[in-house]
Amino acid sequence: MKTLPLFAALLATTTAPALAEQAPLDLVGPIAEYKLYVSENTDVLVEETRAFTEAVKAGEIEKAKALFAPTRLSYERIEPVAELFADLDAPIDARADDYEQAEADPEFTGFHRLEYALWVEGKTDHVTEIADKLQADIEELARRIDSLTFPPAVVVGGASVLMEEVAATKISGEEDRYSRTDLWDFHGNFDGAWKIVELFAPHVEDEAFLNSVEGNFDKVRDTLGKYREGEGFVSYEHLSDEDRRRLSALVNTLAEDLSTLRGRLGLI
Amino acid sequence: MSEMNESRRALLKGLGLGLATCPFALGAARAETAQVTAAPQQGAASAEDRVSPYGLHQPGIATNRPAWGMVASFDAIVDTPADLERLLRRLTERIRFLTSGGAVPELDPKLPPADSGILGPVLRPDALTITLGLGASLFERHPWLAPHRPAQLARMTSFPNDALDADQCHGDIALQICANTQDTIIHALRDILKNLPDQLVLRWKQEGNVPVIAPQPPGVVESARNFLGFRDGSANPDPADAALMERVLWVQGPGWAAGGSYMAVRVIRNFVERWDRAPLLEQERIMGRTKVTGAPLDHPTGSEADTPEYAADPAGDLTPLDSHIRLANPRDAGGERHLMLRRPFNYSNGVTRSGQLDQGLLFIAYQASLNEGFIAAQTRLNGEPLEEYIKPVGGGYFFAPPGFSNAPDDYLGRQLIDAIGRTPSKT
Repeated sequence: MKTLPLFAALLATTTAPALAEQAPLDLVGPIAEYKLYVSENTDVLVEETRAFTEAVKAGEIEKAKALFAPTRLSYERIEPVAELFADLDAPIDARADDYEQAEADPEFTGFHRLEYALWVEGKTDHVTEIADKLQADIEELARRIDSLTFPPAVVVGGASVLMEEVAATKISGEEDRYSRTDLWDFHGNFDGAWKIVELFAPHVEDEAFLNSVEGNFDKVRDTLGKYREGEGFVSYEHLSDEDRRRLSALVNTLAEDLSTLRGRLGLI
Repeated sequence: MSEMNESRRALLKGLGLGLATCPFALGAARAETAQVTAAPQQGAASAEDRVSPYGLHQPGIATNRPAWGMVASFDAIVDTPADLERLLRRLTERIRFLTSGGAVPELDPKLPPADSGILGPVLRPDALTITLGLGASLFERHPWLAPHRPAQLARMTSFPNDALDADQCHGDIALQICANTQDTIIHALRDILKNLPDQLVLRWKQEGNVPVIAPQPPGVVESARNFLGFRDGSANPDPADAALMERVLWVQGPGWAAGGSYMAVRVIRNFVERWDRAPLLEQERIMGRTKVTGAPLDHPTGSEADTPEYAADPAGDLTPLDSHIRLANPRDAGGERHLMLRRPFNYSNGVTRSGQLDQGLLFIAYQASLNEGFIAAQTRLNGEPLEEYIKPVGGGYFFAPPGFSNAPDDYLGRQLIDAIGRTPSKT
């Protein structure tokens, strides 16, 4: 691996600590592009969630199961900026552990509540209201995106925030515990984080840093690529211990490296 | 043997030397005793204590056990010999820095700081030692590494009383991190995680400590107590006896492993509520020592330094034949072969689902022969009455490579990398 310990690389150049002072104004272009990316993904999300929730409500269990992971992909791509709509992120994407009574908690709604109904309970007639609420929340999200302000620090910071989340609670397979479709989510998360890096990379001067980050994203893609199946991915259970270790190391390294991205762009 | 220890202790104290238990220890104000497992005494430890990372052997084995210790186990991301060398060199760089102390680097405040900051802007060594152990899985995973696996290094297998939890077992790499304070060992772990995220993935860790006791009169040495309330480490071999250490601790040459030592780690839960409800006499007969002083049961008014005389008690009337100390070290003719050096810590983790305390012993032992040391001792202990009160749940076997020197290009594990380089590569 050619990954530089970033911090050593920084030390070499920051005896007198100083980073390029980047006027946030220069970031208007990438921010606008990123907003477009989020908007496009949200549009897809609205349509796909509609198909998914319709299937749930119609009791078409197998169809709903097949739509679950691909529908979530668009949501996982825009997750870096979920803190901009935190009030919606909770009802849309929270997990049972976020509630005191876990799966039995009446507050537990959204994708994962439906996942639980489909894979564990094997029925959907009791979750039609939850399906309607999910669709409504997603549509509300789409309505807001256009008028939402995207602070550069939040967008740029979002890439590392997402890596932190993957490192803390996703790599362990906690996210999609009933359906085992975690690898789809990983894929969406890495896509979404990479989009940010790609858009802002031209404003970062440190070549070694960029090479390291890009190299690690490539390795993640290579590793996940081994688990491709059809349009998506095999069950998380097929992820070998060896590859989980590798992904852990890559995610931890990306989390360390991307934690410097805001600073490198002069953002606080 | 213990008499010899006593007289050596007295002699060295008389000479005002303290005890150079570690030939590389600088300013080791703590070293008033030859016993690695002596209880730390209040006021004796200082943040300025420095245990040199350099030497023929790694520190943290025969050097005094400070109040706090941890074993952290990692998966290593390594594909090639060059990857392994890079890991070892970077780890060595962190060890050099952390055990020496000094100012942490300042970065642009828009960046995450280089250091967790939990020890402030200037690190003090605080008797920190970081001891590297290599697990069997590391060697087995790579054809280029397999031929260099130390002869006795194997994956730990379950003993009859074990209930091993896979999430607390084994690992490619173990670090034993010891220091005077908990903050220092936590700081060291966080530093290593932050600096080697691409090659070390944390599997499990267990930290523990031993009670710091009131200052003792000159010449009085006590082993620290474990969570069963007994002194633990009384019969440990004397690290000042170099010949004994060569035999007990250090793997002999030829080969890259010479000067290294096998590390046996066991996370042993103690059922403390149940233990506390056992009659004192029963506790003492289970252990084979008195609880208050640690004296062997055949010298109950003596001290923990007294050697039990089992030959005079063949039926086990005084010291039951199945008592812990008698099984662990029968002190018979063959017993000399079976020595190991223990440096355990007590751990306290929280509460079990049954509402009981999750407490126990982070057992760590070093030996030149894993088979004749820990494995033989534990095999003799299988079925001991103490098992009713303890349950090993984790740990692993590792090999602590020999030490490294202060030459700028030297690093921990270089002997192994050199050995790999000398092997004709047919893989």
